[in-house]
Amino acid sequence: MRKTLITCVAGAALLAALPFLLSQGLLNAAIQMLIAALFASAYNLLCGQAGMLSFGHAAYFGVGAFATVHAMNAVGGAGLLPTPLMPLAGALGGLVFGAIAGWFATQRSGTYFAMITLAIAELVHSLAPHLKGVFGGEAGISTMRMPTWGYDFGSTTQVYYLTLAWVLTAMALLYLYTRTPLGRLTLGLRENSHRLKFLGYNVHGLSTLVFAISAMFSGMAGGLQVLSNESANYVVFDPSLSAAAVLNTYIGGVQVFLGPAFGAALMTFFGYAISDLTRSWLLYQGILFVLVMMFLPTGLTGLIAITGRLRERHAPARLMPLFVLAAACAVLAGAGTVFTIELLQRLFSQEYRALMQAGAGGPWPAVALFDRSWQPGSPATWGVPLLLFGAAALLYWRCRQILNALADGEPAPSGPAPAQHSEESA
Amino acid sequence: MEQLLFSLMNGVIYGLLLFMVSAGLTLIFGMMGVLNFAHASFYMLGAYFAYTLQGVAGFWPAVIAAPLLVGLIGVAVERCFLRRVHRHGHAHELLLTFGLSFIIAESIKLFYGNYPVDYRVPAPLDFSAFSIGSTQYPFYRLLMGGIAIAMFIAIYLMLTRTRVGIVVRSAIHRPSMAEALGHNVPLVFMGVFGVGAALAGLAGAVAGAFYTTNPNMALELGVMVFVVVVVGGLGSLAGAMLASLLIGIITSLAVTVDASLADLFALFGAGEWARGIGGLMTLNLSSLAATLPFALMLLVLLVRPGGLLGENG
Amino acid sequence: MSDPILALHGLRKSFGPTDIIRGVDLQVRTGERHALIGPNGAGKSTLFHLVSGQLAPSSGAIRFEGREIGGRTPQAINRRGLARSFQITNIFPRLSTYENVRLAVMRAHGLQYAFWKFIDRDRRIREETGRLLDLVRLAAKAGSVAGEMAYSEQRSLEIAMTLASDPRLILLDEPMAGMSHDETEYTSQLIREISAGRTLMIVEHDMDVVFSLSDRISVLVYGQVIATGTPAEIRAHAGVREAYLGDEATP
Repeated sequence: MRKTLITCVAGAALLAALPFLLSQGLLNAAIQMLIAALFASAYNLLCGQAGMLSFGHAAYFGVGAFATVHAMNAVGGAGLLPTPLMPLAGALGGLVFGAIAGWFATQRSGTYFAMITLAIAELVHSLAPHLKGVFGGEAGISTMRMPTWGYDFGSTTQVYYLTLAWVLTAMALLYLYTRTPLGRLTLGLRENSHRLKFLGYNVHGLSTLVFAISAMFSGMAGGLQVLSNESANYVVFDPSLSAAAVLNTYIGGVQVFLGPAFGAALMTFFGYAISDLTRSWLLYQGILFVLVMMFLPTGLTGLIAITGRLRERHAPARLMPLFVLAAACAVLAGAGTVFTIELLQRLFSQEYRALMQAGAGGPWPAVALFDRSWQPGSPATWGVPLLLFGAAALLYWRCRQILNALADGEPAPSGPAPAQHSEESA
Repeated sequence: MEQLLFSLMNGVIYGLLLFMVSAGLTLIFGMMGVLNFAHASFYMLGAYFAYTLQGVAGFWPAVIAAPLLVGLIGVAVERCFLRRVHRHGHAHELLLTFGLSFIIAESIKLFYGNYPVDYRVPAPLDFSAFSIGSTQYPFYRLLMGGIAIAMFIAIYLMLTRTRVGIVVRSAIHRPSMAEALGHNVPLVFMGVFGVGAALAGLAGAVAGAFYTTNPNMALELGVMVFVVVVVGGLGSLAGAMLASLLIGIITSLAVTVDASLADLFALFGAGEWARGIGGLMTLNLSSLAATLPFALMLLVLLVRPGGLLGENG
Repeated sequence: MSDPILALHGLRKSFGPTDIIRGVDLQVRTGERHALIGPNGAGKSTLFHLVSGQLAPSSGAIRFEGREIGGRTPQAINRRGLARSFQITNIFPRLSTYENVRLAVMRAHGLQYAFWKFIDRDRRIREETGRLLDLVRLAAKAGSVAGEMAYSEQRSLEIAMTLASDPRLILLDEPMAGMSHDETEYTSQLIREISAGRTLMIVEHDMDVVFSLSDRISVLVYGQVIATGTPAEIRAHAGVREAYLGDEATP
């Protein structure tokens, strides 16, 4: 427990020091990462903890965003609240809309619930362009951060600290929530909502409340984004944002409290860093998600638990080769995938088609990739990814061998695996 | 008057199209309990495959081959992906199909570009069937409707009159019992999944030529298909047909109505007041046409949660 | 003679054309241990579902402590003082045993929507949870994952959760299902202890348990109660022998 607390404080300190370590551009990315992390954690409250899979969570993020932008523009531009307190408007918007939507949605469970959330999100998404007064038109609604309490909130650094303060507070609240009666009941909703009824609980009321709280923090995240971007646009209701929440949360892993936040931060960072380098960034994200769902259901943070379990049973000396091989396998497979997709990307792009038409009849023109020129017809070009995948497959096979050997070699466990349930699936 | 009639016909045909895609989805859900998020992606793949093959083989061979290809992909999805995560539960399967739909959409963008492609009705079929008054009615629309009806009859006959159909229906109702009786239920699952996918692919191959073919068509149609199966009742083919037609007609008719809520209030003398409120009050029904299916879905979920023809509660 | 704590009058339940419960009149006296026996398919679980609120009656009355509860929601019925266990273990599988019991206890102390206090700090809840775990002899397993415990331990957990709301009437649905002889002995004793000061209604197939544990027995056959009486009366009842018990060697 103490170790976790020290780690958290250290992490917060590191985050606080970032403005001195990063450029303005990267600091902006850090703000987006924080917001995405909060949104994913809010989403996880509903899907990972309460077991209610929502596919339209962008609606609450968006409602919070617009609530905030209107609050900022109210009173002739002076704002309904002091600038640092603006995310509360987002939280309130998310809470109210979430309560209404949740009341409807939680009347059903499972797949029906998922579809209702999707329909609600699509309803808002299709309605928004028509309600220009509320959502602005295609240009959206813009606003300005007003100076308050001696700060002018003009610089990225100030916005960063504001965002950081809110996100840390919200994450702390979300964590403390898991230690409250409602927080434990949330897990009960996931595990067996049927039994809860027979224990005297109003399951519909509970589900609605949990939904509303999740929507509240989502709205807060939306408000933070408006503060940072100084604008809100109905594009925020796009299904891709809801999709991003789902992908980030599960790639990160729902078993660990900070899993979704980690997944969101990682994916946002990669999106920021790589989307300039490739047009297929979303494809990579989708592939990663599917791979995680198929082979690593507990997400990337689940790797921590897996390696922890392995370390308990085996000496580090025997495990090191396994970890090295596994890492190498992942890198090689990743490289092979990237190479193939980037090659295909270029082969099928408009520019290449134009080139082909220009040189019609002759051999296919070369493709520029990774600062080298590759001939589509030559076997060397296709040999590279084949080699990479082949090597990855070999390493994968070897890893499986080692895992099997470890499993066979160890003595049968004397009791159940020690339950790490004091900080369990929060 | 002819506008009303045409709208009605358009609505029916769009509804039949919706049915072609949602029939497979509702069957798969009824059988496997899996809501296949990627189902509308099969629709999109059908359109793109037909477009690609059309240049090589001509329209009709393309329209026949494309669904077959999509069916094969459907079988592969079931065999290689869904079966592997089956043990993790329905939520997991749902998420996986969600990821697959994402990948399919992004792959389409990779190969074909993030803009519509020029998949058009071939010239021999691009004529008007008849005209009422001064408006023409395209033959191709009737063709789409005809294909959908033919497909519905074929499925209905197959499910009710053939031996394969009986096995499929029993696997839908009681998979373990059907397996205990010696039927290869995993094969049936794979088959139904593949046929469902092929149907969606056929719809895409045929409709993609008429409507636009772009990487977003899966999402646009996909949400509508979900609305259909919820309104009609998950697992009910008749419900899917009813809901598809209902949604098709409502959407189509609404587009022609240029009145708004304020106009309704005007009937009671409160028009000025309503117009003063603005916002939702002054929105024309024609602009809202796209949102009506969602409103219908929410209404059904509240009043009759099992769907119009599904089980209640 | 005080009023019965549970009274069923002309209770009927049909699913479409199929009648499952076909006119049941039954009375459970306050403080007694009342067993419900009968062949498979007689409708015993359906009767429990009707009383506990999972199903609504097609017609007829269900009165608990004089008030009509037929058709009410399960949570409303539970709050009135009636709790049930389930034939197929119905716990929170991935949470710890302690957590399972605590969730059941919280409601009884009014902690439902509370998101402003910490549950670990609540001494009452801690003590009550500990007391229940001791009662069912699961204190040593408090930290174990509930779904990974042995079957009989899960059944004990099931009973603990049913007790948590301090109900005046407990319905136990085949608590001994699938147990060995020793486990049955043990659970039988446990049931005796927990039903002190409460009324118990139990569905069971193990006739030794039924006859040793219960004050009165009702026999449900084909949706109707064909006999109610003390164990001795039931054993001697000709109709019951014909329908269910058979002619076993007299003990």
